[in-house]
Amino acid sequence: MPLLPRPATARLLAAAVRPASRRLGPASARTYADEGAHDRSVQPDPKSSTSDAPSAKPGDSAMIRQQGPAEGAPRHKPDYDVAVDYRTSKFSPIPMRVMDGSEPGEAVAAAVLSGAPTELQARTVRIYRPAKTATQSGTWHGHHWRMDWDVLEKGHRWENPLMGWQSSADFMQGTHLNLNTKQDAIDFANKQGYEYFVQEPNERRIVPKAYANNFLHSPKRLKHIRTK
Amino acid sequence: MINPTYLAQKTRTSVNWADARRRVIKSYRDWLRAAPEIQQMYSLNMPVSAIRTKARQEFERHRYVAQLPTVDVLITKSNEEYQETMNYWKQLTHVLKYFRAEDDPKARLPHNFVAGFLEGRN
Repeated sequence: MPLLPRPATARLLAAAVRPASRRLGPASARTYADEGAHDRSVQPDPKSSTSDAPSAKPGDSAMIRQQGPAEGAPRHKPDYDVAVDYRTSKFSPIPMRVMDGSEPGEAVAAAVLSGAPTELQARTVRIYRPAKTATQSGTWHGHHWRMDWDVLEKGHRWENPLMGWQSSADFMQGTHLNLNTKQDAIDFANKQGYEYFVQEPNERRIVPKAYANNFLHSPKRLKHIRTK
Repeated sequence: MINPTYLAQKTRTSVNWADARRRVIKSYRDWLRAAPEIQQMYSLNMPVSAIRTKARQEFERHRYVAQLPTVDVLITKSNEEYQETMNYWKQLTHVLKYFRAEDDPKARLPHNFVAGFLEGRN
């Protein structure tokens, strides 16, 4: 991003339509804006707003198209021009977009500040509820949500030439994040700039049964004879 | 009485965008002014202009940040890096990690899919 020559008009791009702020997935699930559904920790009112930022000011005409067709298109493809950081290697996947703090919303952009490698924003994350273990011990472990990283295309595993041990270039392999609710997990993925998909759990269907129902009288022909 | 170390900055938040802008530009000017000293201190084999370009690049990376608290944290990080560099608390590897993209061809992203495919990224 800083290596491309930026024309003067590029600075007039509104933060909301700038290509770096585009995201995949339904817009309603990917914004930081407080949806009012639940009350997160109370924060003091901000004294300055995002409209004071050095970006497009109200008064710029909305009729004049300020970005070319290539910039307005949604990003499905990897962005090869994204700024690299010092941890990029030949195993790093190419990100679709890297968060740069210009996204609208009130949340602090953790992806910008955390110092995490930008290649983490290239990797897809699966948010799911781990299945209950198939024993009769109960459902104690089946209620939390887990975040899991997809396997790298290259470098997730190879055999060490000396001893034959499994070596890996994937620092997130075997890492799980456990969170309490699905919304927490989605907020975390949004905050850190991860591409995510949510896998809904298979809910257990418990059919209430009564043994006495086997012996009920039925005026029609019985489809299945349950008694002898 | 705590004596702060040399170049330590007191933590503070910016009052408004104009204040943040002043602090960012002050931090940037400190880096530019310190570039010859960094080159001499760490015996870097690059011209002073390369160090200044890298400082500019790092500041440009966050040019479009829209939230003031984020800008505050970035200014704090810039001041921390500045203190660590100028007090010689860093080592050569810590300084050179910012220049990996120029030195190491494996530390760059390819230009397009075909270039990446030919170099072996699947």
